[in-house]
Amino acid sequence: MRLLFALAAILLTQAVRGQTLVVIVNPSIGVQHLSRRETLDIFLGRYRTFPSGESALPVDLQINSTERRQFYLILAHKDVADMSSYWARLTFSGKISPPFAVADARVAVDIVANNPNAIAYVDRTAVNNRVRIALELTP
Amino acid sequence: MSSLLKHRFRWLTKCVRRSIVARTTLAILVLSMSLGLTFAAIVSRNVDRREQERAEVRLQGLLATVERTAQIACYLNDPTLAAEIAHGLMLNRTLSGVSITAGKVTLARVGNTPLRADGVSVSSIRSQIYSPFDAHEAVGEIALFVDRVAIHAEAAGYARDSTLAMSLQAALVAAGVALAVYFFSTRPIRAVSNELHRIRSQTSARLRIPPGNRLDEIGTLVTDVNTLIGSLEDLLIRERELRIEHAVGERRMRLIFEKAESGIFVLDGRGVLDSWNPAFVRLLRLPAAQLPRAGVTQLQQLLAQHAVRVNELIRECLTSAQSNDLDLEMTGDGNSRAGWIEISLKPIGAGVLQGIVNDITERKQEELCAQELAAHDTLTGVLNLRGLNAGLAVAFARRASDSIPELALLQIDLDYFKEVNDAYGHESGDRVLRHVAGILQRNTRRGDLIARPGGDEFVVALVGIADLSKAQQIAKTIIADIKLPIDIAGQRVHIGASIGIAFATGESDSPQAVMRRADEAMYCAKKSGRGQVCLAPLSQRLSEDAVA
Repeated sequence: MRLLFALAAILLTQAVRGQTLVVIVNPSIGVQHLSRRETLDIFLGRYRTFPSGESALPVDLQINSTERRQFYLILAHKDVADMSSYWARLTFSGKISPPFAVADARVAVDIVANNPNAIAYVDRTAVNNRVRIALELTP
Repeated sequence: MSSLLKHRFRWLTKCVRRSIVARTTLAILVLSMSLGLTFAAIVSRNVDRREQERAEVRLQGLLATVERTAQIACYLNDPTLAAEIAHGLMLNRTLSGVSITAGKVTLARVGNTPLRADGVSVSSIRSQIYSPFDAHEAVGEIALFVDRVAIHAEAAGYARDSTLAMSLQAALVAAGVALAVYFFSTRPIRAVSNELHRIRSQTSARLRIPPGNRLDEIGTLVTDVNTLIGSLEDLLIRERELRIEHAVGERRMRLIFEKAESGIFVLDGRGVLDSWNPAFVRLLRLPAAQLPRAGVTQLQQLLAQHAVRVNELIRECLTSAQSNDLDLEMTGDGNSRAGWIEISLKPIGAGVLQGIVNDITERKQEELCAQELAAHDTLTGVLNLRGLNAGLAVAFARRASDSIPELALLQIDLDYFKEVNDAYGHESGDRVLRHVAGILQRNTRRGDLIARPGGDEFVVALVGIADLSKAQQIAKTIIADIKLPIDIAGQRVHIGASIGIAFATGESDSPQAVMRRADEAMYCAKKSGRGQVCLAPLSQRLSEDAVA
């Protein structure tokens, strides 16, 4: 019960602050919209291509960032530790490696803006017109 | 071979019959072996099924362990990861093969993985693999192929082991029981048995309790046996004493029986004699030729002249169940004297009578003597008043029934007796009375009655006399005899007598009436001068009739 209250409080404060995550891609790529599942498959390494066939390069944020925590929580229903264990299992097979992480949202936006195959997630406030929003992640 | 077996079997039977240890051991062995075999059969039947089930459960657990990794492998179509999982699973011996597929793609296939499991030698466990991020999205399948033969073998091994263990346990338990029975039961019992053999020949010996069994059942048994031996011994001693006592008593009884003055005998309800003593033979005056034979001779035969009364006595005794007795007069013959015996019979049960014979001759004589004394005048020896009355009663009774028709009563009164008495003394008077009695006896017949009812008064009853003149004649003779002088102490004494005669006539005449008439006639005689005979009228009634 107490946990429910705490969760409700967090969501409320975020809504007030207007923190909504969005998935961004380079506008040059022929992708208008991505589903949650397509997004997740790319980020978790199942497929490293967009549905259109072009290769995809997922970009993560810092491991302790609010956005990264929120992103995986919304999409995969996993927390950071679960995700770490997921990647740890895969490291020995050597075939797939986790997405590389960047310092903050600004760098992520820059990378997407400059790289047609890049895909990242940032706070809506960090988006500019050099990138395209492919998916809005409302909690 | 078969003879050896038979020999072995016979030896075993003998052992079982003669030894509690062998019997107990065999019983326990047979019981536990049969129980063990039954259990083993049940166990081996169940153990196979259970092992299969357990293998399945184990494999399900195994699947659960590798599920998450398998999810990832299928999700990512990663054959390396899948192969790793498959090899890991194959370490389990019961698995014959593993295959992991993601959609149509086979990610890994290890060991024997037939396309179709036959269910007998190989069965398969299949499980859907879902995406690690979406529990509704199936991303692959994992199949485990189970080696049933191996599981069978494992189960059989397990069953064999448990059967072996059970058999071993049974054998050990049987051995333990055998030892326990031998040490706690058979050995003490044999010890007690040996003790019994030891003391058999001795008296007043007691069993020793085997050491260590003092407080248990065997101790109690030995104590009880000792108590029993003790009481038996007492009983034997008592028995011996009783036997001696009995023998002494019997000898004494026999002596009494043989030497008794009384005749003792036993007879049955028909009077047949069973046993008797010498006194019996003597008292019954049996001649040597006529000795009774036991079980044959009847008492009635021995007392032939009293047979009817003896019969009656026996019958009475049996019906009344009381003792009865009978006096019998024994007429003597050439060899034995006459006398009286008394036979008493007493029923002693079962229709048997015990009899006692006593010689009562002396007592009978005394009785008769006493009767005589009571009836006679001691001075003169003739009847007294009582004897006269009794005699008259008998005579009158006989007169009523018999043919003897008449009776004349003479009332005699002495004259001058008082004077003799006064002049010469009582002694002389007594001699006169004895003299008169003698005269009366001489002048009467045997059947007549002579009495002195009192003083100088005499009565004579002439029985069976009908002739009046005859009676008068006798009376006159008597008077004449009395008138004769009597010599007393050198003196000549003269007395006289007056006699009244009365006849008993008619059936209703009584002795008293006749005596009264005789008395009256006597007074009449006295009045008409002494020395007279006066005749009373034939009867009162007749005279009265005459007067009328």
